[in-house]
This record gives sequence, structure tokens and C-alpha cells, in this order.
Amino acid sequence: MEKNEFQKLWKTFEIIAIGCVLFGILLVLYLIRELLTPFIIAFVIVFFLNPIVDYMEGEGINRTLAVVMLIILGVFVLLILWKLIWPTLQGEVNNFKDNAPVYIDRIQAGLNRTIDLLEKNISIIPKGTLEKALQQKINGFSSGMGDVGSLIKIVKGLMTALIIIPFVVFFLLKDGRKIKKMLIAYVPNKYFETFLVLFHKIDQQISNYIRGQLIDSFIVGLLAIIGLYLSGVKYSFFMGAVLGIVNIIPFIGPLTGLVFGILLILIDTGSTVHLIKFIGVYFCIRMLDDIIVSPLALSRSVHVHTLMVIIVIMLGGFLHGILGMLLAVPLYCSIKVTFQTLYKGLIEYGNW
Amino acid sequence: MSKKRISNVILQKIRGKEGDILPVLRTIPIFEGLGFNDLKKIELIVHERTFMPDEVVFYERQPGIGMYIIKRGLIKLTKTINEEKAKIAELGEGEFFGEMSLLEDYPRSAQATAVMKTEVLGIFRPDLFDLIERNPKLGSKILMKLSQRLANRLRKTTEMKLKEVVKNGKK
Repeated sequence: MEKNEFQKLWKTFEIIAIGCVLFGILLVLYLIRELLTPFIIAFVIVFFLNPIVDYMEGEGINRTLAVVMLIILGVFVLLILWKLIWPTLQGEVNNFKDNAPVYIDRIQAGLNRTIDLLEKNISIIPKGTLEKALQQKINGFSSGMGDVGSLIKIVKGLMTALIIIPFVVFFLLKDGRKIKKMLIAYVPNKYFETFLVLFHKIDQQISNYIRGQLIDSFIVGLLAIIGLYLSGVKYSFFMGAVLGIVNIIPFIGPLTGLVFGILLILIDTGSTVHLIKFIGVYFCIRMLDDIIVSPLALSRSVHVHTLMVIIVIMLGGFLHGILGMLLAVPLYCSIKVTFQTLYKGLIEYGNW
Repeated sequence: MSKKRISNVILQKIRGKEGDILPVLRTIPIFEGLGFNDLKKIELIVHERTFMPDEVVFYERQPGIGMYIIKRGLIKLTKTINEEKAKIAELGEGEFFGEMSLLEDYPRSAQATAVMKTEVLGIFRPDLFDLIERNPKLGSKILMKLSQRLANRLRKTTEMKLKEVVKNGKK
């Protein structure tokens, strides 16, 4: 075998080996995904706060001090928000919880009517099958709401998260650059420049996206609360908060918010006036978001085709729920940029 | 112990150890005149790499993303002329190369290879641009020095070209 052919074969082997390693890492991350949740939340917070710490450092404040100051300020702001918004929000949530049985009955009645209609008109569906399946679902939902075991599990998870998240956030903000430098130090000389560029691009893609989405969602949530409150829609704080939170997920989130709001109004009062007000406020906010907020908040964000965004978000949701949906787009972009950079650096320029 | 010495000791304790990267950075013209704190910030973006004899640091025509400073060892720069590699320079301790790649990813004009076991400090564009964004004051100082080097080079090339033109004109 000629030397050139052997080198080509070796290169192919190297590409396959790196691919296998990357796949292995992704597989391990998928298998331990339940443990990763607090770390993912911590990473999201770090991506959001890092520019503020960088700015403070640039102004001459010691980085550790800047991180401590920011965490204290963050806790303080959260406490103020808690004091200001929580009583109203809690009232609305309690009201919603009290009315939940009535809402469930109404939904059940509506669905039963639909099922009757379906079973009468479609002869292949055996009588009572759909109703039985629906009853099972509703029973499961109702028992799930008061399940003490699951409540303990949630509280335990929350406590672990409350300990882990601040700890990870503190160290990643303080020593993030050193950790990154330490990680990249293990890359062999041959691939060093390519991997440094890759690390940087991935970091930029993820941080710009997460920062943009969080700022955008915060503004949308705030506008929704104000708009719904001023127009006198019931559950304005609750619905506004939901609209803000779901806005983090592109395309699917805002649509979910709209459907949620309409359903809530329909099963609560069924008032047409409230419905028109809600839809009006919703579309005003969407317009404001699309024309002003989004272009400003997401100006440095990623550019991916709408269809691709929807596909990867659904895949993210399937793999890791809401967090998976939030991280789906930046992860997709990171994978895309990885292939582009590796191709450019290692194959196109013969650096392999 | 004199007051000055005591204050120096205290200052050193607060600042931390200088290590072996800062003295090397101080000798580089691009970082000339920078204070201890600024150099410490640059130290954070410096990557230490070790190359074995005959190991290639970068290839000719490969897109460059940064500069290298030789901490210990020897680097040979070669250029392909008529399909043959010609040595154009050999750089030793304290010397640096590839600084223009800090400004743009223009392909490397030569190949750099380690002659012996060589320790280098690498500073790369993504890190430098991050530093400039975080610290515009420091960034402008570094960019100013880089521009001065670029201007010097341009002046020298222009002078050389002019001399050539004059020489050809006389002929």
C-alpha cells in the first residue's frame, strides 16, 4: 500500500474515531439526563449573567467580588419580585386550583359530547371505548395532582437544585475561563487551533441564543401582565407569566400560550368580551415582539430555518422535556457549527 | 526592613505570584508599556503549548488564528518556493511570530516547525477579541501597538519597492 493511501485510510479512521467519541459523550449525557437538570439550569443562568460579570470586571472590579455582588443582587431582586408579584400570582393560582374540579368537569362534559358525536357518526369505533379511555386519563390526572409521593419527589429535587445551582453558578462565573482553558489544554497540538475556534463559536451560539431568548421572554411576560391587567382580563398575572415562560420556546411556545389562554377563558367564564380582549392583547404583544423586542434581543442570535427550528424543538421536547426544548436550537446550531468548522479546519485546509 | 520593601512585599502578596508567563509577555513589543494588572488579564488568554522536535506548529496557507511567543526552544520558518521548502528564519527564546493573524484569518505565509522541544505561548484571535470586548481600554492599547507594527511593515515594504523602482529606472 502506498504511503498516501495509508495516510488517507488513517485520516478516515481518525474521523470515525472522533465521531464515535462525540457520539459516546452524547449518549452518556442522554443516559444521565435526569441528573443533568440542575446543571443545565446553572449553565443557562451562567450564560445569562456572564456578560454582566465581564462588564464589571472590565470596570476594574475583582471577578470574584463581581460574582458575589451579582448573586447577592440577584437574590435581592428575586425577593423583591416575590414580595411584589407573588401575592397576586398566588391568589390567582389558588383561585385556579379551587376552580380546577369545575374546569375538569366542564372539559369532561365537552369531551363527552364530542365522543358521543364521534361514536354515533363513525361506526367502526366500538361504543364506550373512547369514553373509557378518557375516564382513565382524567382519573390519572386527578390522582396525580394530589399524589404525596410525587410532591415529596418534587420538593427533594427542588432542594437539591437549590443547593447545586448557586454553587455551580458561582464557580462557573468565577472560573469559567480557566475551566475552558484547562479543557482545551488537552487537545493535541495538531487540532488545537481548530478546536479553539470551535469552542469559541459554540460558546457564542449558545450564549447569544439563551441570553436573547431570556431577555425576550422576560419583556413579553411583563408586557403580557401589564396588557392583560389593564384590559381587565381575569388571571392576568398568571396568564402573563405563562405567556412569558412559554415564549422561551420559539414558535411552539407562543402558540401554546395562545391556546392555553383561550381554553382557560372558555372553561372559566366563557366570556366573549374577555376572549376578544385576550386575543387582542396577545396579538399586540406578538406584533411588538416581532417588530421591536425580538430583533433587539436576538440580533446576535442564530439563523436557522423555521421548519428546522420546529423539528429540533420537538425532538428536544421528546428527549428532555421543556429544558430539552429550550436547548434544542442552540444544540442543533452547535452541532452544525462543529461540522462546518471541522470540515473547514481539518479537511478543506488539509490540517488533518 | 524599609517601608518601601514592606509595601512591595504586601503588594506582591495581594497581587499573587508573577509566574513565568508575565516576564515573557513583558518582552513582546505589542504588550510594551502595559501594567501588571493588564498583563495578568492577557495571561488569562495565553495558552501554553509544547512542541516536540519536527512537530509542525502551523502549515503554510492554513488560515491563521493567532500568534506564538517562544518561551523556550527554537522554531524554524520555511516557505515553499518552486515546490521546495526554503528556510526563511529561525526564531529563538523571546521571539514571536504570526502576530498579523490576530487581526484577520489570512492564510499563513510560511510553515512553522519546532527544531527542538519547544515551549510556546499562544494568543488567539477569538480570546483577544473577547478581551477587547470586555476591556476596551486594554484592547485599544493592544490594537494600537499592532497597528503600529503593521504601519512599520508597510513603510518598509513601500521603501523597498521604491528603491526597486528607482533602481530599475536608472537601468
